[in-house]
Amino acid sequence: MPDLILSGVSKSFGSTRAVEPTDLTFAEGQLTALLGPSGCGKTTLLRMIAGLEDPTRGTIRLGDADITALPAHKRKFGMVFQSFALFPHYTVRENVAYSLTIGGMAKPAALEKAQSLLETVQLSGFGDRRIGELSGGQRQRVAIARALAQEPKVFLLDEPMSALDAKLREEMQVELRLLQQRLKITTIVVTHDQREAMTMADTIVVMSNGRVEQVAPPRDIYHKPANAFVADFIGKANFFDGVYQKGGVKIGNHAVDIPANFAPGSPVRLAIRPESACIVTEPGQNCIAAEISFVRDLGPVKEYHLKSDIGPLIVEYAGTDGVQRVAGDKALVHLPVGALRVYPRVAA
Amino acid sequence: MTIADDIGMRADRGLDSSKGINAKAVLYGVLTTIMVVFCILPFILVIVISFGQKVDGAGWVWAFTLANYQRFFVGLLWPDEVTFLYLQQLGYSFYFAIIASVLAVLTALPFTLLLTRLRRSTQAVWLVFILASLSMSEVFIVMGWDILLSNNSGLPKLFEVTGLTQWLKDVGWFQTLRDMGLANPRNVKFKPSSFATILTMSYLVWPYAVILLYPALSRLDPSLSEAARTMGASRWTVTRTVTLPSIRLPLLGTTLLLFVFLLGSYVSVSVFATPDKQTTAVAIYSNIRGSNMDAPFGSAQAVILLISASICLYFGHLLNNKAEAR
Repeated sequence: MPDLILSGVSKSFGSTRAVEPTDLTFAEGQLTALLGPSGCGKTTLLRMIAGLEDPTRGTIRLGDADITALPAHKRKFGMVFQSFALFPHYTVRENVAYSLTIGGMAKPAALEKAQSLLETVQLSGFGDRRIGELSGGQRQRVAIARALAQEPKVFLLDEPMSALDAKLREEMQVELRLLQQRLKITTIVVTHDQREAMTMADTIVVMSNGRVEQVAPPRDIYHKPANAFVADFIGKANFFDGVYQKGGVKIGNHAVDIPANFAPGSPVRLAIRPESACIVTEPGQNCIAAEISFVRDLGPVKEYHLKSDIGPLIVEYAGTDGVQRVAGDKALVHLPVGALRVYPRVAA
Repeated sequence: MTIADDIGMRADRGLDSSKGINAKAVLYGVLTTIMVVFCILPFILVIVISFGQKVDGAGWVWAFTLANYQRFFVGLLWPDEVTFLYLQQLGYSFYFAIIASVLAVLTALPFTLLLTRLRRSTQAVWLVFILASLSMSEVFIVMGWDILLSNNSGLPKLFEVTGLTQWLKDVGWFQTLRDMGLANPRNVKFKPSSFATILTMSYLVWPYAVILLYPALSRLDPSLSEAARTMGASRWTVTRTVTLPSIRLPLLGTTLLLFVFLLGSYVSVSVFATPDKQTTAVAIYSNIRGSNMDAPFGSAQAVILLISASICLYFGHLLNNKAEAR
């Protein structure tokens, strides 16, 4: 199956620009997550790929074929909707067989194939049930089986887990990922849940205000966020506003050593993940004096909320460091140079 | 506060609550009286009168005879001769009501679907306009169509002036219209005809069809049809396999309601239908208010029309239950 390539694709609704001109390549057989907050344009982008919205500008190609003007029913990209959009007037098996029967396959053969797809999604005994008789997780599996029945070149999922409870969501994320890896089908998942994106995706596309902020594998997105938005949106981060000086960032009266390519005097934002910062006993480079204001034991991690001269910050420890600290204790927080990121500070 | 005061206050409260009960009882009494006087009593009177007896050359007298019902089913001349004139009239009532209600629903459906896809503000304007059109009486609407379809000033004249009549003659379709009773040797002629009757009856209930279908169609989940499209369904396939099955209950309900409403349609039929295709509603009027002065038989016809409508509604209810059970 060929790559899906978006070139300069944008979408406007009246005077509102929902998606800024976007260039993206969805590699064949890979799972890509479109991740961003509500209203960032990720669903609109997915709907343009599915053919449910016409791009205002740009082209969409599947390999060499330009499919920009191809209507949705001719693209036949399997799609799972946020509400699952299962047909209530059909049984589970008829829902799965829908694309096959309207495509001209004889009904007995279509129902037989639907049954085998239901087995794939572990719903073999549910074929004769009505949609109203299924739980949320079962409905989602039916929606996946139905979308896969037509053997689509591209598989699209619009917030597929949002209707499920937290435990089921985690299970389904793993199941969906395993299924995708088994079928090796090019898959695009829209989600606002970073955990979901990190669990399932080969590549994450982070979007904000209709723009693509970063395209990278999950690990890079987390450890090397391209900008402050990505650093803030993916995981937790401590932010400190300062001014860049040669070799470091000046925050108030403190200087934090970090080499970066900024002109001296540039307003910058310094970021560090809570688990990258650590509490130390000996002073050293980039050590900030602080006072613990709150301690939260979350089981696998212990979270320290601190007040410091450069601003409030959070430090996370996985397991235990063997020292019992309580609110009111003085502490030295070390910000390792390798874990610090510096971004230009833009006006909100 | 002394015990005596307390007892006094409780007594006052008891008085207040008894006043409340009295007011409630009066309200229920008034409502029940209104229901009995304006709804149940006339209905009972019609049933009682249907067993009355016509006096030749005069009015009618109270009696208990089944002759009126017998006359409806086997004709006035029974047992010498059996005629089905009144059953035929009932048949035409059903004929016009079924076709007109189905036509109204079929034409209102695509319009209402389009309406639900418009912006909310535009939808509101259309709905207000449609609701306003409901205020027009049947007489007013029929008068408008009467003028529109009249041979000298309406559509036939337009056909003649624009050369459409001549074109129909040239292509050979004029004879087909003549065979259907929609043309005389010179020009097209729309009334009196079943065509004009059905058209007017459909027009009459069309706003009701839109209003009744609108809630169901506006609640229709657009992602259902989008899902079907992504699975390769063309627009027509989506309509056939997703949209229509999803709204089959409101469609059935609307059609039944319009059908029952049209069973009693009087003005459209009396103006546009040919004399051989008059309906029970027209016959009822002739008997009760017209020259026949046969209120007992008119009442019997009304009762039979009512029972027929009830049977239809019952079957509709059964169908509805069956569909819901699926």
